[in-house]
Amino acid sequence: MADKKVILVTGVSDYWGTNIASRLLEKFESLEEQDYSVIGLDSEPPSVEIKGLDFIQADIRNPLLVDLLKSEHVNTLCHLAFLESVRNSEAAFDYNVMGTMKLLGACSEAGVRKVILKSSTSVYGAYPTNPAFITEEHPVQGSRDYGYNRNLVEIEAFCNGFRRQVPEMILTILRFVNIVGPKADTPMTRFLKEPFAPVLIGFDPLMQMVHELDVLDALLFAIQNDVPGAYNYAADGILPLSRVIALAGKIPFPVFHPFAYLGVGITQNMRFPTTKYWPIELDFLRYSCVVDTQKMHNELSISPRYTAEEALREFAGDQRLRRYMPERSALAYDEERLRDTMERRKRVREQALDENHL
Amino acid sequence: MTERKPLKKSTIKMADSSLKIPLGNSEEVKTISIESKENLTMDSIEEQESVAEAKLSQEEHRRQLIEELDQLIENLRILQAEYPPPSNSSKQQSDQKEMRSNQFSPGMSLTVLQRMRNTINEDILDMDTWRGIWYMVNYSLESQRDLLRRRMAGDYQVDEWGYDEEVLQTVAPFFTFMYKTYWRIQTNGMEKIPGEGRTLLVCNHSGQLPWDGAMLGTAIYNEHPNQRLVRTLLASWFPTLPFFSMMFTKLGQVLATEENGIRLLEQEQLVSVFPEGIKGVSKTYWDRYRLARFGRGGFVRMALKTSTPMIPVSIVGAEETYISLFKVPIIAKMIGFPFFPISITWPWTGPFGFVPIPTKWYIDFGDPIPTVEYGPGAENNLVLVSQLTDQVRNVVQDMIWSRLVKRKSVIYG
Repeated sequence: MADKKVILVTGVSDYWGTNIASRLLEKFESLEEQDYSVIGLDSEPPSVEIKGLDFIQADIRNPLLVDLLKSEHVNTLCHLAFLESVRNSEAAFDYNVMGTMKLLGACSEAGVRKVILKSSTSVYGAYPTNPAFITEEHPVQGSRDYGYNRNLVEIEAFCNGFRRQVPEMILTILRFVNIVGPKADTPMTRFLKEPFAPVLIGFDPLMQMVHELDVLDALLFAIQNDVPGAYNYAADGILPLSRVIALAGKIPFPVFHPFAYLGVGITQNMRFPTTKYWPIELDFLRYSCVVDTQKMHNELSISPRYTAEEALREFAGDQRLRRYMPERSALAYDEERLRDTMERRKRVREQALDENHL
Repeated sequence: MTERKPLKKSTIKMADSSLKIPLGNSEEVKTISIESKENLTMDSIEEQESVAEAKLSQEEHRRQLIEELDQLIENLRILQAEYPPPSNSSKQQSDQKEMRSNQFSPGMSLTVLQRMRNTINEDILDMDTWRGIWYMVNYSLESQRDLLRRRMAGDYQVDEWGYDEEVLQTVAPFFTFMYKTYWRIQTNGMEKIPGEGRTLLVCNHSGQLPWDGAMLGTAIYNEHPNQRLVRTLLASWFPTLPFFSMMFTKLGQVLATEENGIRLLEQEQLVSVFPEGIKGVSKTYWDRYRLARFGRGGFVRMALKTSTPMIPVSIVGAEETYISLFKVPIIAKMIGFPFFPISITWPWTGPFGFVPIPTKWYIDFGDPIPTVEYGPGAENNLVLVSQLTDQVRNVVQDMIWSRLVKRKSVIYG
């Protein structure tokens, strides 16, 4: 029983959770391992059926979670449930920060061996005084203007203390830079999806990118290997914002920075589309926030397959294609579902055949 | 080769001019060689028939030279199909001109000048010249268009610090103008900067705006045989300013933190620091050339940690570019600037207050101060750090005084 791998993935209905769960299952199947189970946890069932997933419908803040973790003998938890909201909403804070705190508390109570968190390098914050390459030891002092960033900073601050309280738990925090890719929905992809990209006049900060598939690979690696600590995760290549916009094929729309700050400050908590165009905090469009990837290269035996440039080019290509065939994603989804249905029917038929033989 | 048969006269003339006129720049070379190449076969046929033997050897020699030149240009064109070869450095050109004019007596140089003028006049009537000019213009237009297209498509590279070589080459002519014509900067001891390897330049800071940093970079980029790029460590105030932050990053300048400095030196770069910082640059006219405190010794720690030799640099002339009468801290605090000077032209004349005074500048490089003998861990020795800081400061101050002793006039040097 002790050897059985029980992995619990929270937020399994979202893009990240769905993909991690299905890849994990695929991997275990291909390795022909017997003693494993992947449990998915979310408040809503996943929109795509994942074969072999043990889905449990529950909120991560549920006090009975300790009992669930104990009774299922969960030894690895991959926490991906996160509400990404620009507004400083109390509901999101409760779900993200309080949820994570309660979940981590339950994990230590139930003796979960390993916890993996997905974070972002935006927790360091973009400041003019930042060193050119931020290492993992740099204090987590990101600005708290945007809801999601504030929540991440709070979670990271909590984890710092938690790590000292529960030293026996392997707590891995992967801090990803801007994630781009054809399928993922992140602040960066939202910023680059509009035809115009609003930039600040006279500022051209350096940026790093990572492809969505590399993010999934990194998370899978952390689930399968023990790598305690925080890691910056970025693809090779450092690009100025102007080049990012050019590669994505967008038209830069320059705004004088005091006006931009004023506008976002006023409208941020209103239902006004300013933050639709600025899903990224303005500071990140003004100052560079480039992280050092030395630790990632030295201590993780995995590195991104895509360079920043390739990731952006692929994203841009997909965007261009989407203009001509908006149903493309729907079609792919349909195909997937049909294949699943066919397989299910085949299984049922085989079962019926077996029963007939008996 | 070609069906067109140009006149022989023009052939010889072109060959003449290619030998006698000191070549202005590479584009000129290109034009001449393109035309002479076409005439090459004609030359060789007619030589065999009519030219005397003594002259033949001369012609032969000339032809060989032209062939060699053509070969070189052809090679260049194969290597860099899309771009014109970089022009000679202006220093080489002026040296060449000086050398040539010294060889002639006054009367002779007048004749040379006359002949040059004649050829130019004749050239204007010649179709080949115009074809050459058209070729040149077309070529440069095409490369400009190509550059623009690449920039728009994001098809360019920057290094990990954000340094963009194309931007540097675009703004270099302006800085070279300020360097050569406006401030007529004279450098001494350039040979003390090694051709490669980590080096730390420690300079005095002055002049309200950081022109001195820009000019130090221009000096080394223009005059050093290896055209080294200087990485200036700059104050954290600049990244908060629009345009300045962008330009500084693209020109390879880096924020002054110890981590950044150490990383740059470990990459064997040429780093320059202005340890006086804002205190130095904001000096009023009455305090000119008296060095302020040299920071907290961060630059010495950087040098000790990476065993980098420190080269003291004194920049004289920058102090008088703006005559700051006094500073107004209240206004500075209100608008968020580190200091706000009142000079004889600023802020009374608006944007004209930014126009610097064309003083004569001197940049002197001192003897390197080695740090390798202190061994590892020396950066934690506070006594040593403060001693070295004072030592470097005294050296720079002495260099400034010894230059001021020799300087007769602020404007004429």
